[in-house]
Amino acid sequence: MPPTPEEHPNKAAFLLRVRSALGRTDPIVHMPDHPSLKSNAVRQQEKVRTIVARNEARRSSALDRLARTAAAASWNVRRAGDAEEAASIVAEIAQQSGVKNLVRSAEDVFKRVNIDAALRSVGVSPAILASGRSRSRGALRDMAFRADMGVTGVSYAIAETASCAVTPRKGVARLASLAPPRLVLLIEPEQVLETLDDFFAITRLNRMQARGRTINYFNFISGPSRTADIEQTLTIGVHGPGEVHMVILG
Amino acid sequence: MKVLRRLGVDVSFPEDQTCCGQIAFNGGFRSRAADVAKHFLDVFENEEQVVVPSGSCASMIKVYYRELFEDDPETLERAQAVGEKTREFSDYIVNVVGTSDVGAASEGLVTYHDACHLLRELRIKEAPRDLIGGVRGVELQEMENSDACCGFGGLFSVKFPEISTAILDEKLKTIAESGAGAVVANDCGCLMHIRGAMERRGMNICAMHLAELLAEDGTDG
Amino acid sequence: MAEVKSAEFKKASGRALRDEKLQHSLEHVMEHFVGARASVIENDFGDENWEAMRTRAAAIKQSTLEHLDYYLDMVDRSVRRNGGHVYFADDAAQANAIVLDIAKRNGVKTVIKSKSMVSEEMGINHILEREGIEPVETDLGEYIIQLAGETPFHIIAPAMHKTRQEVSALFQEWLKTAPTQDIKRLCVYARDALREKFAAADMGISGANFVVAETGTVCLVTNEGNGRMTTSAPRIHVVLAGMEKIVPAVEDLALFLRLLPRSATGQRITSYNTFVGGPRAPSDEDGPEEFHLVLVDNGRLNLLRDEVMREALRCIRCGACLNHCPVYRKIGGHAYGWVYSGPIGAIVTPPMTNMKVARDLPYASTLCGTCKDVCPVKIDIPRLLLHLRHKVAEGALGERSTTWMERLFVGQWHGAMRNRKALEGKANLGRLLTRPFARGGKVRKLPFAPMVSGWTASRDFPAPAPRSFARLWREELAHDNAHPNGTEQG
Repeated sequence: MPPTPEEHPNKAAFLLRVRSALGRTDPIVHMPDHPSLKSNAVRQQEKVRTIVARNEARRSSALDRLARTAAAASWNVRRAGDAEEAASIVAEIAQQSGVKNLVRSAEDVFKRVNIDAALRSVGVSPAILASGRSRSRGALRDMAFRADMGVTGVSYAIAETASCAVTPRKGVARLASLAPPRLVLLIEPEQVLETLDDFFAITRLNRMQARGRTINYFNFISGPSRTADIEQTLTIGVHGPGEVHMVILG
Repeated sequence: MKVLRRLGVDVSFPEDQTCCGQIAFNGGFRSRAADVAKHFLDVFENEEQVVVPSGSCASMIKVYYRELFEDDPETLERAQAVGEKTREFSDYIVNVVGTSDVGAASEGLVTYHDACHLLRELRIKEAPRDLIGGVRGVELQEMENSDACCGFGGLFSVKFPEISTAILDEKLKTIAESGAGAVVANDCGCLMHIRGAMERRGMNICAMHLAELLAEDGTDG
Repeated sequence: MAEVKSAEFKKASGRALRDEKLQHSLEHVMEHFVGARASVIENDFGDENWEAMRTRAAAIKQSTLEHLDYYLDMVDRSVRRNGGHVYFADDAAQANAIVLDIAKRNGVKTVIKSKSMVSEEMGINHILEREGIEPVETDLGEYIIQLAGETPFHIIAPAMHKTRQEVSALFQEWLKTAPTQDIKRLCVYARDALREKFAAADMGISGANFVVAETGTVCLVTNEGNGRMTTSAPRIHVVLAGMEKIVPAVEDLALFLRLLPRSATGQRITSYNTFVGGPRAPSDEDGPEEFHLVLVDNGRLNLLRDEVMREALRCIRCGACLNHCPVYRKIGGHAYGWVYSGPIGAIVTPPMTNMKVARDLPYASTLCGTCKDVCPVKIDIPRLLLHLRHKVAEGALGERSTTWMERLFVGQWHGAMRNRKALEGKANLGRLLTRPFARGGKVRKLPFAPMVSGWTASRDFPAPAPRSFARLWREELAHDNAHPNGTEQG
């Protein structure tokens, strides 16, 4: 862990002014009454246990809902019966789009879904987008910007909004799901949650249990990159992928 | 008055009444508004029920007096008491007298403009429509965006006449497109505004207060 | 700090009203936003649930404001625990100095920016340019107005007043691209130009839609992906956030992420939400090595201090009040003269900048109340406008802040309205004065009253009735008494 940065010299005076604007002279000692802050790790764990149980019990309807909301949000949704089918769907997408430079993350899901073999069988050789001794961060960025398709897994997929939570970390570059114009996300059934509330409750618990190792960055990807900034005309694929595919196992 | 008396309501018109004070309140002149509002309370506080024919006046009395007198607990209490027994005209007939048929008769298509304060401060939407529906020979023809502001806004209409008129243009367009021969509203401000522009432009549509429509008895008067 | 041009409100709004092209885009865009919002709310929640959500969000934001010193401290601790730096800036000048210092210390040459309204308040682009650092806006709309040298026209649709032809002309001039009428092509031009900037930039500056106190997480809501680029590609990430952007807990985000996009663009959710709370971990593949959060006051204390105005700080900048405002829909954003426009601009600009310069803004509303009904955090905008009007008319600004006609009118009105006799007397005077101008019960022109002449330019004014209602009523009662059977039918 890097050292904690120092407090800004203006902080105390700033807070004092805020306090006096609120008509108080002393700082607040006890945490204000706020329902979602009150719950401690034990209670949060209890809450998450219920959430997980509910999601397990309603998995198949959540998967259906995800497929529905995703289609409505301009995702191309494919459902695969098993890992093998998922891999061949990825290869099919790459082949149909005439993909040449494909990058993927290094994640556990690829141990189960062997897209590399499937891709090679259609003449595409995937590269793993990760830095290393032989690859500087600048080179990684160039590689990501050059790629015409990116494939990664997700941490969670939220059925309510068709949001895929992607958490960059070792093996998962931020740019893998951002820079290429085409994106394929692989989703496993147990990653699907019904609601945003479910997701943030779990996020909070993970954070409470992290013990110093915190995740500073994650994204929701909920559809293609889009803009309507010129004449309110919807145009897809500005800075991020304009073509997004969701391959759901199950 | 005619309509209320026709319904058998014992109506009085306290002659010392003037204004609710909204015009100064909306201009920011609160102390002057408070003087006038107190006069309003003096005149009306001993009445059993106060019926107000204009949505914005009613909302001033029922909603904004609370704000006006927030630092004057004694008057606030009086204002709240008067506010509680104050009802807007259409609301009074439908929900207190309990009828939507006042025995009026007229003819033709009528469209209804939702005055802003009536709709969004007092949440009165159905009562005026029910009353229009209760007029024999009259059919209610909704205009597009009946709840869109007419651009009056009291002081706004004289302070920013160009903007006010531009907003009003939209309203006139939707009124005309409704095909109705008359537009009814329950706010004297909106009506003055809408009528003023329709007359200037020679539009052949009549702008009338709901009470005026309800007072018609089919004898062309 | 960005210049405040609100004193020009009347002139600028007149210009906008006469701009036909602008009127066309305003109608088209506003109609689209309004329709999309209404249908997504109806489909997903229904009025009752939506109302409950608004109530809850308003309560969370209000409580956060009431305990703002506590939560600011919490944000500071959380972000620093994550390895990020936190700064507290009293005003635009301090905030600019902080950012400039970070940039200079790191030898930054190019800065890429993801939409930040606070940065507009600060006028930071100008400051960076003066120091030889190139700022590049990366939200397409912001990029367009940066090339045009303008300020945002709308909180969430900054370039909605530009046509494709104008955008093409700007791109030809600045990017040397070929002329085109194809919007998709224009987007590709922008994408390519900005890709180069993303690759070259040393520093990214973003705003913040929400700052979560308990985790130090900054949440960005975007559709294009520029927010992700800005927080991924450069070595340094600086977040500029108004000090009111805080929500206490990470679980609160579920509610606010449901309210914001639906209120703003009528989307169920935007394409991207980025959650960032500090620098990347050493093992991460990419991402900024430094993370800086600058919490900015810049006039917000003036809102916080006033118990009535405080709720204006609940604002989550969705723009719904603009889209639904009859006044904004006619005059657009620039007339308001500062960073925030529409109803929210009219209430925050005077206290945040200069009451005197912006004194027209609280009056620039019909008080129709639509803004209050659509606000996702239930800011009672009409009430706040009235509060500011009170300050303008009777407050610290002194008498001179309203026009002499207004004061004369209110004085006369005040004299007349406190007893009936005086009223009747004045009314008789009014009948006398307007009679020469009245034709068939209408007044077409009132040359001696400048306050009313604006009205009569486009509308007739009803001439005072020849006899007052009170007099008619007296006569009717007398008539009833003389004919006890009545003359009414029905």
